[in-house]
Amino acid sequence: MKLNDPDRPETKVALELRGVSKSYCSESGSLVQALDGVGLTVQEGEFVVLIGPTGCGKTTLLNIAAGLLAPDSGQVLLGKGLRQGDNIPCVFQHYTLFPWRTLLHNVTFGLEMRSIARHDRNDTARALIAKVGLSGFEGAYPHELSGGMRQRGAIAQALAIKPKLLLMDEPFGALDDYTRMELQQMLIDLWQESQITVLFVTHNIDEAVVMGDRVIVFSERPGKVIKKLQVKLSRPRRGLSQEFTKVLVELRQSLGGYVWPGE
Amino acid sequence: MTCHYLRKRGKPLANDEQKNRSPRNWPKLLGWTVVPVLLLAAWQISAVHLQQPWLFPPVSRVVEQLLHPLRQHYASGSLLMNTSVSLLRVLIGFALAAVVGIPLGVLMGSVRTIRGLIEPLVELLRPLCPIAWLPFAIAVFKLKTVPQLFGVRFSHTILDHLQLGMIFVLFWGGFFPILVNTLDGVMGVRRNYLLLAKTLGASRLQSFVHVCLPAAMPMILTGLRQGIATCWFVIIAAEMLPGSDSGIGYLLIYAADQSAMDIVIASMIIIGVVGALLSFIMRWMMHSAVIWQGKE
Repeated sequence: MKLNDPDRPETKVALELRGVSKSYCSESGSLVQALDGVGLTVQEGEFVVLIGPTGCGKTTLLNIAAGLLAPDSGQVLLGKGLRQGDNIPCVFQHYTLFPWRTLLHNVTFGLEMRSIARHDRNDTARALIAKVGLSGFEGAYPHELSGGMRQRGAIAQALAIKPKLLLMDEPFGALDDYTRMELQQMLIDLWQESQITVLFVTHNIDEAVVMGDRVIVFSERPGKVIKKLQVKLSRPRRGLSQEFTKVLVELRQSLGGYVWPGE
Repeated sequence: MTCHYLRKRGKPLANDEQKNRSPRNWPKLLGWTVVPVLLLAAWQISAVHLQQPWLFPPVSRVVEQLLHPLRQHYASGSLLMNTSVSLLRVLIGFALAAVVGIPLGVLMGSVRTIRGLIEPLVELLRPLCPIAWLPFAIAVFKLKTVPQLFGVRFSHTILDHLQLGMIFVLFWGGFFPILVNTLDGVMGVRRNYLLLAKTLGASRLQSFVHVCLPAAMPMILTGLRQGIATCWFVIIAAEMLPGSDSGIGYLLIYAADQSAMDIVIASMIIIGVVGALLSFIMRWMMHSAVIWQGKE
């Protein structure tokens, strides 16, 4: 569905969700409501972080945005030129690269699907691999790469198809703190350079404040938006300044009931 | 405590690779050299003492047979000829099983309706020993051979030994391992990879070709390996039954009737070695085709 702009022709919205609800059958057969009337808007070029407790339907929401799931009710509206399964790739936490392909051929995957000539797609991929700092590993298989390198590769794989909107589902969730910080910085640099729109899911509060222009806080299941927080800190952000801590505390408080039950 | 002791002595903890090369691996080394030699020596000495070669021939006589693979044994042909006949039968039966089994497994794995229709039949027929098909196959195909299919009564080549009945039985031997493994492989493709392909712009057909097939490849190759091993088991048994006139299994049973135990044992060794070679070749092919297996 295309986003109709007659109401607000001046805004450039990349993605808008209106009253999106989704239920699914759990393995035990009971009906679980993952999302309950979620509405949110992502502006073009914005870096939006979704945060919430585990199992609050963040992933479901991302899958709906990617067109991998259909919502039970509500609307998914996409900005001009955005098409699901075309320029809205998703970087997952696990299984981000195809294990039977080398890094180079993983990055060229999307271009191969678009029948781009081998020579051209290899050139594009090599440039992107260099950009994410993996030069020299073009011929390596995913199992030969470390967790952090795999996520770098996954980002290159997503960027290869020239995304308009990049969806990221806890992409750094399985990494150690040091690698995570490196990759956060790399992603921010790439984002600032290319001005793509990013919708980034995490359950790490620190990461949310480091990354997001805007942080959207989700409640426990069924997922609902309980707070939208504008983060007006200058970049690069590191977690030692007073302003940073202030935002962090604010976010902690809004999540309080979920992070520390009983508080 | 042990660890501390070792460090003090300055011995680094060996990783697996070092372990294999270190002298600690002497049991394996002896297992491949001294143990077989001792066994063969014991066999030779006891056989010479026993002096009943029709029951327990000395090693030297078996080796002598193996060194003359072209020698004609009565009316049953040579070791080499019979081994080639068995191998050719297996390769044809196995190839047919693969040509039918892989596409059918892929189809069943990806189309629910087809799986629903065929799976009960598969589960019913699968436990049936392929050899049980032989009497039926001989009754249906008589002793018709592959050249006769094409209107050639006698081609006077090895092809005259390719009875349709044998190939039919081999087909069933190879078919089920290939089918079932392919089916499991296609159905076991991680959903994440399909989702990833979809978000990267793959169509359904492209997802099938570029994700389903490569992801299922390790299982398909496992099926092929099990299939060819089963075929090799099946052909030996089938050739030992009445209605057969050639093949290494036939030579084995024929030589046993003639109390030529040296030929029997030589045949057994050949059967074992060919089986091991087939398995080795398949494993080698698998290794180069799916180096990523088990390393996701």
